[in-house]
Amino acid sequence: MNRLHVKLVRIVAVGGLLFSNSMAAQTSPYSPKVLPPAPKAARVRITQGPELESANNNSAIIRWTSSNPGGSDEHFGVVHFGANPKEISQIAKSPIRLNQNHSYTVFRVRVDGLASGTTYYYTVDSMAADGRSDGVTSPVKHFTTP
Amino acid sequence: MNRRMLTVITVIVVCAAVLCISPSQRKVSAQSAPAPPTLATYNPYPTGILPSDINSELARVLREVNGIESEAIAQWHAIPPPTLTGNPPILKDTGVASVEILGKLMNFDKNISPNENSACASCHMPYAGFSGPIPSVNLLMIAYPGSYHYRAGKRTAQRYTYSSYFPPLQYNATQGAFFGGNFWDSRATGYLLRSPDAEQAQFPPVDPLEMGNSDTACIVYKLSLASYRPLFEEVWGAGSFDITWPSNTAQICAIPNAGGSAQQVALSPSDRTRSNADYDHWGESLSAYEHSESVSPFTSKFDAFLAGKYTLTAKEKAGYDLFRGKANCNSCHLDGRSTAPSPTNTGAEDTGTAADTTPVFTCFGSANLGLPKNPRDAIYYETTPDALGFTPNPAGYAYTDYGLGEFLRSGYATAASPNASWRQYAAISDGKMQTSTVRDVAMVPPQCPTTEAPGPYFQKEFFHNGYIKSLKQLVHFYNTRDVYRMNVSSGECPTGTTEKVDCWPAAEVPQNQDMTVGNLGLTSQEEDQIVAFMQTLTDGFTTPYPDINTYTGACMSGGNASTQGNSTIIPPSALMKQQSSMKQP
Repeated sequence: MNRLHVKLVRIVAVGGLLFSNSMAAQTSPYSPKVLPPAPKAARVRITQGPELESANNNSAIIRWTSSNPGGSDEHFGVVHFGANPKEISQIAKSPIRLNQNHSYTVFRVRVDGLASGTTYYYTVDSMAADGRSDGVTSPVKHFTTP
Repeated sequence: MNRRMLTVITVIVVCAAVLCISPSQRKVSAQSAPAPPTLATYNPYPTGILPSDINSELARVLREVNGIESEAIAQWHAIPPPTLTGNPPILKDTGVASVEILGKLMNFDKNISPNENSACASCHMPYAGFSGPIPSVNLLMIAYPGSYHYRAGKRTAQRYTYSSYFPPLQYNATQGAFFGGNFWDSRATGYLLRSPDAEQAQFPPVDPLEMGNSDTACIVYKLSLASYRPLFEEVWGAGSFDITWPSNTAQICAIPNAGGSAQQVALSPSDRTRSNADYDHWGESLSAYEHSESVSPFTSKFDAFLAGKYTLTAKEKAGYDLFRGKANCNSCHLDGRSTAPSPTNTGAEDTGTAADTTPVFTCFGSANLGLPKNPRDAIYYETTPDALGFTPNPAGYAYTDYGLGEFLRSGYATAASPNASWRQYAAISDGKMQTSTVRDVAMVPPQCPTTEAPGPYFQKEFFHNGYIKSLKQLVHFYNTRDVYRMNVSSGECPTGTTEKVDCWPAAEVPQNQDMTVGNLGLTSQEEDQIVAFMQTLTDGFTTPYPDINTYTGACMSGGNASTQGNSTIIPPSALMKQQSSMKQP
């Protein structure tokens, strides 16, 4: 019984030696870094939308796709809206993150504080984290809350 | 009235016990610390929050912790004798193994806690990717009980894996965002040690809701009594513990931290400086372990795939194409791959060069994903004082977890920010939590080979508040958050809907919600494919994962992954009603 115990201790110790050597062999080439800003497309433009994705009686989501605007990965979709087509003065913006591997970006903006049964007019834009506009243009569109 | 009276009496008894031990009567003994005072258990929870098997499960984990500690001691003794050489002096050949094993010994040392019942590993076991090891806690109370039972924190236990790869917290003006840090709210910034991971290890030992030491010097004092003290001195210097400890140190260190009134060990300025340096070495040693191949080894199927030694199955490949294409996961969970082929042309051959040969599947940033508040979180119910008079969360259910934003303003239930210039970004950071690595999110004990029902499965919890209970739910949340969002609380979805399937309760923090996700247009089959890909990121495929076989608990089975855990959802109104009735005299 005692011999068996000694044998077990030896096995654990030898296993430990092998194990500790493998721990010491760590050779990860990785070093943490933050990626540089994404490159800008030759011509930044809206390729799809904008359109209403969904709406309830007090909020809506507007969606569109742009060719890649480049710049900071942290980006904002911006919706200018109002109940009067001649006074589109309210602003909603939502953060999204550019994918540096994609040649397009889907923007989605949550618009809160709406009134039910009301028609709203809107245009869209997008901007980098520093507030600089991507310079896209969009037509005036509209939707009506339920 | 009776409960309050009992609490007051208990506090008086404890204080009297401490005061009665006169410094002149006792000499510190390295081997015989006095028995800690017995405190009344803290259980302010309504029925259903504290798991019924909590005591047996805590005991089970402690047995597993002890087993791995024994293994680590054997590994330490197997290291060849040290040779300190050169200038600066280096432990030739054995330095890396020594500091890594030292960190491992610390990680599995329950004696560091005031009640000698809680090691770091008690909330971070290898078979769970070094996250929470108790299925019933993951399912029911979210945060883990600390050394003083059953105080508990407010968030899930984050995985250790690859935590050492996060850089010090920085605001990157070009990107307009914060990167780095450790913890969900990035409060371990790395501003001094330049390693957020090392600084992270310095928080839980003195967090009243976790290990709960009253002073960082208590950890150093206990290290000076540890069996592996010689290894510490070998790595960090022979005079590391040349500290004159006051004779009441053991008594102070046996009493759990009671918040702002915690008693400090009265050290001389020079001894305090030495103690602080040792505590830095505590963090650095643990970080060395977490960086080692024992914890973060890059041995997954995906790593084998990158090395050309594994071919992804059709399902895994489809999941990977979705991960970097339609689902857009790699906008934050960077996969280090080239831009060729186009992610939208999944049939094309990948002819590009990898940008990063060992990607860690995070951008090191933070985002507000708009998760619902989880009424099951233990923190909401810790509104009454414990036997030491400490009330963990006076705000109760009104508490809102603002994550990074709250830290930047040095706010409620977080740490002080070391940089006043960050405060201006607090409002735009509200609700943001750290972007986790996807690596090892699916790691489970071998005998319960999945996180997903019907199993047999190991119940994990996901995101900062554990609201999500399976990877299927996790992907479905990203996919449909804005499709099925409803202005209700968890447990109160309308009749005819199913929570987490076609009803997502309101966001806890509505502002700053990331809109990259929320309506991805994935089919259920595509969600499953992404889960299959996430499972390829579990370490241990090319080389067995160390200590993966240490789980001695049970597996769960039955049900399905979409509604996994739904039977335990409780509406907050019911919990509050029950809690207020508990407060009645």
